[in-house]
Amino acid sequence: MTRASITLEFETAADTVYALAADDSGNCCFAACSGGLFRSADAGASWQRLSPSSETVTTAVALSPAFESDRSVFAAVKGGILRSSDAGDSWRAAAFPAPPPLFSCLAVSPDFERDGVLLAGALEDGVFASADRGLRWQPWNFGLFDLNVLCLALSPHWQADETVYAGAETGLYRSGNGGRAWRFTGFPTEFAPVLSLAVAADPASGETLLVAGSEARGLQASSNQGESWQALALDAAVNQLQVKCAGDGGFELYALVDDGVVYSGDSGKSWRVFQRTEALPTAMLLLDDAMLLGLHGHGIMRLPLA
Amino acid sequence: MSEEKPFNSRESYKPGLVFQPAAQQNIGRGIDKLVAAIRPTLGPTPRTVAVTRLDDARKTPDVLDNGGVIARKVIELGAREEDIGAMLARALICKQHDTMGDGSATAAVLLQAIYQGGAHYLAAGGNAMRLRHHLERALAQALAELDEMTAPVAGKASLAQVAEAICHDPPLSDLLGEIFDIIGSYGQLDIRKDHSRALRREYIEGMSWNSGLVSREMIVDQKELQTVYEEPAIVIADFQINDPRHIMPMLELAVDHKIEKLLLIAGEISGDAIAGLTMANGKLKNFQVMAVRSPGQNPDARQAAIADLAVLTGGQPLLSVAGDSLKDIKPANIGRARRAWASTHNFGIIGGKGDPRRLRRHVSNLQAQYQRSDDKAHRDGLQARIGKLMGGSATLWIGGLSQTEIDRRKELAEATADAMRAAVKDGVLPGGGMALADCRQRLAPMLANGADADERAAFRILHEALLEPARAIYENAGYEAGEVLARLAHAPHQRSFDVVSGEMVERSQLLDGAAIQKSALRNAVLTAGLALTIDVLVHHRTPEIARSPG
Repeated sequence: MTRASITLEFETAADTVYALAADDSGNCCFAACSGGLFRSADAGASWQRLSPSSETVTTAVALSPAFESDRSVFAAVKGGILRSSDAGDSWRAAAFPAPPPLFSCLAVSPDFERDGVLLAGALEDGVFASADRGLRWQPWNFGLFDLNVLCLALSPHWQADETVYAGAETGLYRSGNGGRAWRFTGFPTEFAPVLSLAVAADPASGETLLVAGSEARGLQASSNQGESWQALALDAAVNQLQVKCAGDGGFELYALVDDGVVYSGDSGKSWRVFQRTEALPTAMLLLDDAMLLGLHGHGIMRLPLA
Repeated sequence: MSEEKPFNSRESYKPGLVFQPAAQQNIGRGIDKLVAAIRPTLGPTPRTVAVTRLDDARKTPDVLDNGGVIARKVIELGAREEDIGAMLARALICKQHDTMGDGSATAAVLLQAIYQGGAHYLAAGGNAMRLRHHLERALAQALAELDEMTAPVAGKASLAQVAEAICHDPPLSDLLGEIFDIIGSYGQLDIRKDHSRALRREYIEGMSWNSGLVSREMIVDQKELQTVYEEPAIVIADFQINDPRHIMPMLELAVDHKIEKLLLIAGEISGDAIAGLTMANGKLKNFQVMAVRSPGQNPDARQAAIADLAVLTGGQPLLSVAGDSLKDIKPANIGRARRAWASTHNFGIIGGKGDPRRLRRHVSNLQAQYQRSDDKAHRDGLQARIGKLMGGSATLWIGGLSQTEIDRRKELAEATADAMRAAVKDGVLPGGGMALADCRQRLAPMLANGADADERAAFRILHEALLEPARAIYENAGYEAGEVLARLAHAPHQRSFDVVSGEMVERSQLLDGAAIQKSALRNAVLTAGLALTIDVLVHHRTPEIARSPG
């Protein structure tokens, strides 16, 4: 496949893609959509609707970092979180107290094989956590004054620092104990809501970059765990972010904005349009040789990176 | 210390004026006598003090190891001329205890050493006012040194280490480390006895208050004896609702706004009004109401709880002081939450839907009030409110092999938790008296270089006094203080002597709450400085018995 193409087409204009996730190889992909959960076994070239969540609004999806061996996938539906240990062929649901939470995001511990920790952000209910691979969930909201959680990001040094960030309607919170307790960061309240978050660490310099996409003031970056912030040269509402090390001590950033995807190869100092879209892009996933883009009312577009 | 005189109540109540040098000697004897009763309680191996019961001297005496509690029970000394000194010391010790909860013995020992040193200097012709001035300058230097030494403490492992240094109980330390890592310095922690043999902890989501349903008829879940509402509307009023007709506007508003579940929090609700509410439960379709009394045992506490509930739920409370009544209820008076529950004794709110920005500002204001307040009861109240608003609480259940062990461990856990709370808030210092002893290096240059004799004397007096808490700790543990200090002088840098193990350890292994040490030093120096300036004592014929300090 050499040019952009829609690989999953929606039936109605109201359908949307909430989240995309893939395993390390990039071959097995999942899409959480308003019309259910979809799976691709060929890096997003074709999709199959998974039966347990058929017609069920699926708002988030996440894979175990050891997916190739444990085949664990987690999907958030209204009022519950589904877990599968066979790459989505069969599912079990975990129960939550009423009223049913509406989940906005899911995050899996980078050390999932050992600690089995999962975190889920919810609108109105804050953060839920599971320490037993998704079997039982508990609200972990101590110190989280804003329970409208829009996004979560785990530290790349999670095994050592157990740090996780929660972007909320009125600001950004940090937890230094795996989500058990939260403290407000120095993120300016007037920039909120925090729509997207990403954290990356440069293995060479040890520098950690935390990037937050705000609605009011575009992209903001912090190199001290959110205590102080500086604006990156992108003044647009950023709905999703991906950050990776550029290899020269800097970072590459992909940002999902209202009319497409923009790219920075110099840690956010300058930006260029990576892909412009006519439809509103709602989710993004970077694979080795392609990017998957969820487009509101259209479906999933696959863009070859070459 | 001067020779003891037999107590003669008739003589001791003679009115009169006492001038120098007798005034200073009397104050010194009073301080010495009271501090002698407190000094054995300093350190991790305190000795106890038996105090006769005030209500009945024939009952078993109270056996105490807390300086603040002991001082409070000493209401007069036998010899009246010593009372003024003793009461000055008592006021200091009680203030330290009331504001910080700890450090009273340290403050007492420092006071005694500074006063003794100062009195000797004044007897040799020093100027009391100038000495006091220079003592306060030396204090500022010592506090600056303590500030530099203060280290923050954070993270489960570090907090467990602090707990271990305080209580020497590794399983308890691990749990307290985890708990304080989660709840922070303001969080709510209940320590309760358990029937099991082990320790365990529990974290509870949401906020709860000690006030229950006004009627058992409002209990829906008869098994759990509670009622839980999802997505309830919440009306908060601080006044009494007597007339059942007054609830009608509220019920009409609920129906108009399609409210299905309503929690009413009010000052008091009469039987007739309760009957009206329970009738509404039966008659109105798709509508349920439950009512609880406003929490708080006094008007201030009730007002505070109402303010907290209003911010938490986003509802504007109806206040009698503003002339509000249920007749004037508007949609803005309705707060919201994800869930609310109530039993006969408590009610709780989970996921209040107030403005998070306002909630955060409210909590910041309460924290600022806490920092400004010197009154322990006020601070405790603020801490409880802040802890509640943080969104959850922790309970530590203390089990053990016997009731005695459970009681002892519970007391230990409570004392450790208090000290840890202070440590989390204000950081830690090397313990075992070492932080105060280390301040001496900052004062040392002034011993020789002071501008005049009064200045040099003040720095020398504080320089010597700063070693006294460490001496007391060693002596109370049965060591010869001079010998331990000599060993420390020859030990590698950054070592402390652990009186429990009898070994030299790293400084980081023995820790004290920084705020407690600073407060003890500040209070002791200021009290000693004041006492040293007293020139004349005036005794009345029938002095009032000092029942409270200050």
